[in-house]
Amino acid sequence: MSLFETMGLPNSLTRRRFLATGAAAGTAAAFSPWGAHAAPSLSGVTLNLMVIQPHVVGGRIVADGFEKATGAKVNVIAVPNDQILEKVTLDVQSGANVYDVVDYWYGLLGAFAHDGMIVDVTDRIAKEIDGGAFLQSLYDPYTLFDGKRWGLPYDGDSHVLFYNTEIFGRHGLKAPTTWDEYLTAAKTITEAEKGNGIFGAAILGRKEPFQIGCGYANRLCGFGGEFLDKSGKPLLDSDASLAAAQAFLDVAPYAFPTPLETGYEQGLPAFLSGKAAMMEFWTDLGVNAQDPKVSQVVDKWDVTQIPVGGSNTKHRASLDAGFGLAISAGSKNPDAAWELVKYGCSAPVNLAQMITPGTGIDPVYKSTLESEEYRKVAPKVQAAAQQSLNGALVWPNGAQAAKMLQGLADQLALILDKSKTPEKAMKDTQAMWVELLGG
Amino acid sequence: MADNAVVDDVIRDPPRALISGSRPVIWLLVAPLVIGLAIFAVYPFIDILALSFSKSSLGRPFQKWPLLTNYLSLARDETFRATLIRTALFAIPVPLIETALGFAIALLLHMHLRGAGWIRGLVLLPLMTPPMMVATAWKLILAPSGGLLDGVLLRSGAIGQPISFLGTMPWAFLSVAIADIWQWTPFVAILSYAALQGMPEDIVEAARVDGASPSRILWHITLPMLAPTLLAILLLRVVIAFKLFDLVYGLTFGGPGFDTTVAAFQVWRTALTQFDIGLGAAQTIVFAILVSVVILPLTWLHRFSEARAG
Repeated sequence: MSLFETMGLPNSLTRRRFLATGAAAGTAAAFSPWGAHAAPSLSGVTLNLMVIQPHVVGGRIVADGFEKATGAKVNVIAVPNDQILEKVTLDVQSGANVYDVVDYWYGLLGAFAHDGMIVDVTDRIAKEIDGGAFLQSLYDPYTLFDGKRWGLPYDGDSHVLFYNTEIFGRHGLKAPTTWDEYLTAAKTITEAEKGNGIFGAAILGRKEPFQIGCGYANRLCGFGGEFLDKSGKPLLDSDASLAAAQAFLDVAPYAFPTPLETGYEQGLPAFLSGKAAMMEFWTDLGVNAQDPKVSQVVDKWDVTQIPVGGSNTKHRASLDAGFGLAISAGSKNPDAAWELVKYGCSAPVNLAQMITPGTGIDPVYKSTLESEEYRKVAPKVQAAAQQSLNGALVWPNGAQAAKMLQGLADQLALILDKSKTPEKAMKDTQAMWVELLGG
Repeated sequence: MADNAVVDDVIRDPPRALISGSRPVIWLLVAPLVIGLAIFAVYPFIDILALSFSKSSLGRPFQKWPLLTNYLSLARDETFRATLIRTALFAIPVPLIETALGFAIALLLHMHLRGAGWIRGLVLLPLMTPPMMVATAWKLILAPSGGLLDGVLLRSGAIGQPISFLGTMPWAFLSVAIADIWQWTPFVAILSYAALQGMPEDIVEAARVDGASPSRILWHITLPMLAPTLLAILLLRVVIAFKLFDLVYGLTFGGPGFDTTVAAFQVWRTALTQFDIGLGAAQTIVFAILVSVVILPLTWLHRFSEARAG
């Protein structure tokens, strides 16, 4: 019996793509959640896995595999992105205790842990998990709060810059490496092709941290900035932060109309239909862009690292979004839930999800990021992500992070709305963050 | 007979009957109502009031008791003040327009299409559409890229470049208002139509026989007779309009900036996206006071019109 069969990973896609690569299988063996031991028998146990809506396909891969490997029954329950904490809290507080395992955004890790909604797994990790196997840029931000670990990394989200090679070719443009070049490209394309409904860039400007916050964070890391300094003091009024906010505002006139109205549901179709020439997006778009069922830009796109700006010359990624799996405080069977967490966050499962279109799952392991299988499926994305994940920009994830990031999103929206200058908005955000952090 | 007397006492003057009555049957009669009110009105109100004086997150309510901190924070918050004003600017004129339009439609139905039940069904269609579907439909109509309205205006040459109806002011606010009017006018129309159907025909007939013109009948008979009903409908609509949430969520998400952020949306953001339940509760209390201040004159006006109509 192969490792994949042991682990219950079921489909021909996995077998064909994964087992065909001996090196990848060897890597997977090293990080199997049960090591050399057989999978635990959980026959008769039912577990409920709460996932965000975009993770449903990936969640089903986890559920199917875990059921086959252990005999347990796993129900995948989808909730909207912006209602994770609310759903889990109401579940635990009401005593309904429906969820066993929770798919949490790392920005809410502190809130989950502070409110006692997820279970401390520090000891379990120390005994059973090799934390060094995860991408180190995201391992601590995704799992560590208040000196304890609360879950395992599940979806390693970061943005790269996608661009349409056909449109770029028409205007003799090259992939932008700086935010200035990005602005020039956006301006050139929009001014020339706006009449045909084609714009230089799609900007996710909807007033949610996951959307407008990502665009700012990409520029912040490009200009070499940070959200917080090493002592935890906010840096929103730094030169890099102001430059990032200004760069965000500068491209707005040349963006797919209008940035404030553009969320995933508008931006993604705009890029995939060739109406937007550039878009900063999560790496899994590289798999979807090659899927002719959803994409009109198959083989007409490329990807590059997030540009740099100012005096910064080092390309970095921003850990935009990103999820972990944790045991819900309401789980009636935390031991079985932990097995599901381990399984769902294991390297073979991560890889199987990464190479399946529509899962929305990106690498969390160095081994899966560098794997041959991933390179075959998404060669361009792999190269860009590999280069930029070291020293990535981490978002705040403390108990106050939800409020801090929503406040930032509000101020960024005011910048795009031209109700505030970048200087005023960032100054106000800085003051708000200082107050929230008790400074 | 004795029980009937008790019931009569309670109906005639409930508080006095309760205070002075020593018979347990009085308490038994009102107990379901009192228990219901205690569970569904008093307890939630006390809970919200207590939360508003506390530092509370979604998962850990009542962590500390900083008492007035949340209210002081609101007093300093210009954005929240603007939100309250914006909410009132929406919740007063929009229901007035809906009431006028709805009554006009009802009048047309009453005068020209009596008995055409299928038209009444058609009129009700926007009201029966789920609010998020209404928002989605209007979003498709008003989208700057590929939107129906911009397409029509561009093709007709009325505009040279697309208008961002949902991303610029004052269009965004007007767009939310128009979608709300589209959705709720039928509600007013159908209630007004029912009221018109219930009007005694002989009074109108007598006026006609006396030579009154249709406009005189409308201004001097129909409107005065229906005033209590129309004010009740307006009152209902104002209360519902104050609670506007779904259209804002679906159409503009409170933007551009905060320009379409109304109170219910702001409370949701505070409590369920920032998880500051204490501040959200304080916002709710302040919002409730505002609604009461606006509603009270309307209630008095309604009572006055009822008394006048006899």
